Amino acid sequence: MSEKTAKKVIAIENLSKSFGDHQVLRKIDFAVEKGEVICIVGSSGSGKSTLLRCINKLEQQTDGKIYFNGKEVADRQKEINEYRSKVGMVFQSFNLFENMTVLKNCMIAVTSVLHESKQEAFERAIKHLKAVGMAPYINAYPSQLSGGQKQRVAIARALCMNPEVLLFDEPTSALDPEMVGGVLNVMKDLAHTGLTMIIVTHEMAFARDVSTRTIFMDRGYIVEDAPPKELFYNPKNPRTREFLSRFLNDQKNKAETEAVANG
Amino acid sequence: MNFSDPSNMFEWIVYIANEYKYMFLEGLWITLYIAVIGTLVGFIVGYLVGMVQDIKINKQDNLIKRILMRTLKIICLVYVEIFRGTPMIVQGMIVYYGLLQANVKISPIFAGILVTVLNTGAYMAETVRGGINSVDKGQKEGAWSLGMSPMLTMFRVVLPQAFKNVVPEMVNTFLTNLKMTSVLNVIGVSELFLVAKTAGGTYYKYFESYLVIAVIYFVLCFVLNRLFLLLEKKLAKKKDYVLAVEYMKESA
Repeated sequence: MSEKTAKKVIAIENLSKSFGDHQVLRKIDFAVEKGEVICIVGSSGSGKSTLLRCINKLEQQTDGKIYFNGKEVADRQKEINEYRSKVGMVFQSFNLFENMTVLKNCMIAVTSVLHESKQEAFERAIKHLKAVGMAPYINAYPSQLSGGQKQRVAIARALCMNPEVLLFDEPTSALDPEMVGGVLNVMKDLAHTGLTMIIVTHEMAFARDVSTRTIFMDRGYIVEDAPPKELFYNPKNPRTREFLSRFLNDQKNKAETEAVANG
Repeated sequence: MNFSDPSNMFEWIVYIANEYKYMFLEGLWITLYIAVIGTLVGFIVGYLVGMVQDIKINKQDNLIKRILMRTLKIICLVYVEIFRGTPMIVQGMIVYYGLLQANVKISPIFAGILVTVLNTGAYMAETVRGGINSVDKGQKEGAWSLGMSPMLTMFRVVLPQAFKNVVPEMVNTFLTNLKMTSVLNVIGVSELFLVAKTAGGTYYKYFESYLVIAVIYFVLCFVLNRLFLLLEKKLAKKKDYVLAVEYMKESA
């Protein structure tokens, strides 16, 4: 472990992952400091989601190391569980427990993993459900909620664990356009609270406006890693430029139409 | 009609049913007893074996744990294959006479329950495995991402959902067992079938005698099936949730 990884919340060294012959991640190196909001963008199949799943140990890396607060995350199940309880994850498909109410979804891990009292778990659940605007729905089952509501509950559930880092795996990709805004707003508020976040997303405007650092991935490599202003408006790598050109053109057209509309 | 001195088929049926009513009742009781206990314990065996079969062996675990798990999985697999691959009537013979030969003294009823348990367990294991597989993988990942252990995930998240999918098959298994107990007459369990055999043999009126228990089996299964269907419907009914109005203001 190098000197600088010791101070990072999460540090990844030389991480590779392959599924059979197909190499998805190639020697990834990057580190996350406390309070950073990192957005990972890139085309489908570039390895963004796999990287996030490796960070949370849902996928076992083929090679390389992951450090959490300077300590290597071991492969023992018990240590993985403890690590995961501090690194929350929000999924594209929500993954709320279908057999539990919204309230129970938020409480179960607080009582059974962190061994907090029921009262404490309840208070945490209400606090975070209020923050995402879902407190009135505590008695509902996930199947009775819309996608956007489910995702907001999923965020609250992750927050109830008081995580040090929160990972988002394309949290808005399964939502219809009307619901995306609500979830993104919740995430924006979270970013402002100073929570460390790693977000895999296709929402370019969100990445540009909210992240403190944006990473562009392509074919299993980190191609560019820069502050959003730099990555979006002055990309150094031709591949980044190609990927972003469409988004930037859209933005330009939008600005022009607005300018015309405003006279 | 003269029921005390039967001369036609109908009279014979009534005569036998009346003459042997206590034996039929006792046979019915034993049939139910074996079916209920055998099925319930069999379900437990089935759930345990089904869960063992679902466990993934972790490459990171130490050697001893891996060997133990592998052995356990092989035992479960062999058990399921053997009991699914042989008729229950043969299993009854082998278990009962096998144990007798090994000088283990067990009553026919106990042997009957044992065979029903082992048989049910083998079939339920497969059903439970299917039920577990039918639960979306995301449910597990959601639990793992919160730091829940695989065991906790299984009991709190996966099994309750798998259970719901497995209930119809559990009812089915119970009704099957109710009828399958009839094969236990070969080891001398005095359930309904053996009573009918005895009663029929006394008067050489086999058809009439078996007709009596056919009606008993049918009514029993029919009534129970309706009851379970009713229960299932009631369980499946989704209750509407009530908005917690006390939290409405803050989040509006």
